[in-house]
Amino acid sequence: MGATQRKTETTGHPVTAQHQHIHRLANGLTLLTEKMPNVRSASMSFMIPAGAALDPATALGSANVLSDWILRGAGARNSRELSDYLDGLGVQRGAGAETIFIRFGASMLGRNLAAVLPVYADIVQRPQLPETGFGPARDLAMQQLDAIEDEPAQKLSILLKSQHFPDPLGRPTVGLREHLQALTADQLRADFQTRFTPQGAILTVAGDCDFAQVTDLVEKHFGGWHNTPRHPTAEKPAPRGALHITQQTNQVQIGLAMDSVPESEAQSILVKMAVGVLSGGMGARLFSEIREKQGLCYSVHAGYQSSKEQAAILGYAGTGPDRAQRTLDSFMVEIQRLSKGVTSEELERARIGMKSRTIMQGESPAARAGALAHDFYHYGRPRTLDELRSCIESVKLADVNAYLAANPFGPITLVTIGPNALTLPA
Amino acid sequence: MISFKHVTLPNGLDVIAEVNPQAQSTALGFMVKTGARDEAPEVAGVSHFLEHMMFKGTARRSAADVNREFDAMGASNNAFTSNEVTCYWAHVLPEFMPQALDLLADMMRPALRTEDFDMEKKVILEEIALYLDRPTHVLFEAIMGDYFAGHTLGQSVLGSRESIAALAQPQMRKYFDSHYGPGNMVLAVAGKVDFDQLADLVQAAAASWQHLDIRRDYTVPQPQPRRRHIVDGKLKRHYMAVMCPGPSAQDKHRHASHVLADVIGDHEGSRLYWALVEPGLADEADFSFYPLDRTGSFFAYASCDPARRDQVEDVLLAEIKKVIQNGVTEAEVVRSKTKIETAGVLHGELPLGRMRSICARWTYNHEYRPLEAELAELEAVSGANIQEVLREYPCSPVTITTLGPE
Repeated sequence: MGATQRKTETTGHPVTAQHQHIHRLANGLTLLTEKMPNVRSASMSFMIPAGAALDPATALGSANVLSDWILRGAGARNSRELSDYLDGLGVQRGAGAETIFIRFGASMLGRNLAAVLPVYADIVQRPQLPETGFGPARDLAMQQLDAIEDEPAQKLSILLKSQHFPDPLGRPTVGLREHLQALTADQLRADFQTRFTPQGAILTVAGDCDFAQVTDLVEKHFGGWHNTPRHPTAEKPAPRGALHITQQTNQVQIGLAMDSVPESEAQSILVKMAVGVLSGGMGARLFSEIREKQGLCYSVHAGYQSSKEQAAILGYAGTGPDRAQRTLDSFMVEIQRLSKGVTSEELERARIGMKSRTIMQGESPAARAGALAHDFYHYGRPRTLDELRSCIESVKLADVNAYLAANPFGPITLVTIGPNALTLPA
Repeated sequence: MISFKHVTLPNGLDVIAEVNPQAQSTALGFMVKTGARDEAPEVAGVSHFLEHMMFKGTARRSAADVNREFDAMGASNNAFTSNEVTCYWAHVLPEFMPQALDLLADMMRPALRTEDFDMEKKVILEEIALYLDRPTHVLFEAIMGDYFAGHTLGQSVLGSRESIAALAQPQMRKYFDSHYGPGNMVLAVAGKVDFDQLADLVQAAAASWQHLDIRRDYTVPQPQPRRRHIVDGKLKRHYMAVMCPGPSAQDKHRHASHVLADVIGDHEGSRLYWALVEPGLADEADFSFYPLDRTGSFFAYASCDPARRDQVEDVLLAEIKKVIQNGVTEAEVVRSKTKIETAGVLHGELPLGRMRSICARWTYNHEYRPLEAELAELEAVSGANIQEVLREYPCSPVTITTLGPE
């Protein structure tokens, strides 16, 4: 795929080039790059399909522990040498287990890419997985479970996910205490051997980068990565319905989930627009009706979330116990009102919001690296900013409203944490 | 080519801009030099409550108008209040700059209608409740109160349920009238912007704002060695915070202090990381430099299993002591400088990041530095500079505040 040129009419700026390239390695790893003008930094997003969905049913939390342990030395460098080396290059980095992927993110000066990429090649192919590092990595995962208990909002989002989505999609990436306690270093080392595979892995680089140079580096350092594909766990149905956890919190945590169409389907843009009308900005319906007009909440919002197979709209509100039922009722009124359609003014506000966020994303290498990976996962190819913009511009009011009328949201999955349970209005 | 522009209106309002013709967007923000430290105890929380009220409309706009207009220009916008400043910002595509400026400038002269005040009070009380469910926030407010005991810097930004419940609209009006003078604020813009057009628009919008003579109370805080433990039986983790004096935002040692804090307690690759997080003793441990207006401090934080609290605290304090006694290595200084400089470059590529940076520097130091000059200041930090910081600020007196289930 070659380069595309885009004219930035909205800013009046003459011409900005957006260079996107894709390269598939024989072993199944896909490299995507986007060269951005006027930046000195480069960001990398590296996603290996080794997430919690692959955790053995008796060892939930394995991906989480592994995403820490794997950084404790790789190739010839031990844990401290590895960390000092990346720090010496000023690399800002993160790593973590998600449901589908284990993701590594790194931002740096573009000129340091050549020194950094081989380190990640070591991490995924030649981690030392030292005995001394296993205990602390597992211990930290268990501490994370306790920390979640102290943060009700975080606890809610984990519970909502497992209540609404089937296993393994809905499983908590943090794992289960009993499983973590029983986990051994040998067991996790064996798991690693068939878990980290280039098939389906996505490596994106955006910013100050050169496609040819990055391709050479990636071929050289990742070309020999062996493939040992493994099939994901069988699916188990989601509990759905309502779940209440009694806990003496200051605010009742309210989480709602309802099914929607996956990102890759054409209708997903209509859903995202509707969610923009519901919760895109401070003038959107939830904020305006529940916070501004009734003063019920500080935090109230909804968002669209999609995996490859399944998507949902997730809603959140936090409020005092005496106002929680009224908040839930008002939230439901807004969800139901959506099926009656949105106004042209509302749609235009949602549209300009989405368009302007897209253009601004074009200024951030980290945001573009993430977007490239997201697009490749869902659409099988990168999308240019131009394409994103014309997709947003092409949405018609009649199509949004026809979709909303034909697809009322529901049934609702409800999870609450607080002193008392709430009732979902009929 | 990036250029700096500055104009001061006759009423004292400073307008500064870092113009970058190659940017795709424009970030604008009004930073007002007022916050919780400028509040009398009987109006605790008024700065932050006022920040919310600034979105509730003006003589020519309703609250709904304000929200709708931001959305209609596709703006990312928000506001925040700290102990020392209140900032209102919007990030827009360049063609929306005139509208964004018109709206933000109009908001700086709010209606503060009583019915809106009463409604928003409920939202503020919910925000307080939200933070009461976050132990890290509870601990932070507690240690600020302990460390700055007897000084307004120890006051909570949100205020308490009681102080907010008791607050009346006329008190807020009075606070606004005495703190939101044009000479006490700066309008900062970064990104793609026509500065002459901007200056004309601000001149028209802000010409009528009356100059006020505003002086911050610079009573010097007197931290004493203190220790307090707060028990909350509902918690699963033990949380600890440590504060001790450090250089101010104006101090020449501030860059060296940033490097020092990074060596001791960046979230990765620091002394505390290797001593506490890597071995799994604490899930979080950090040490940071917390510069304020003409005062400053260092701040350490860790969370751990309640059973390990004594061990973690001993290790944390021992690591700090080790640095005070033996200093840091040249290799550590180089590494930390590289990390901070790279972060500066990444941050500096985004108009919103630059706007915040120039806005804060203007508010605290009344000066502008291009990114390259900021990076050069940092690069100039030597091991000897860090020794000077350690000699002048040997982490004493120490305030320790902890929070846990037992």
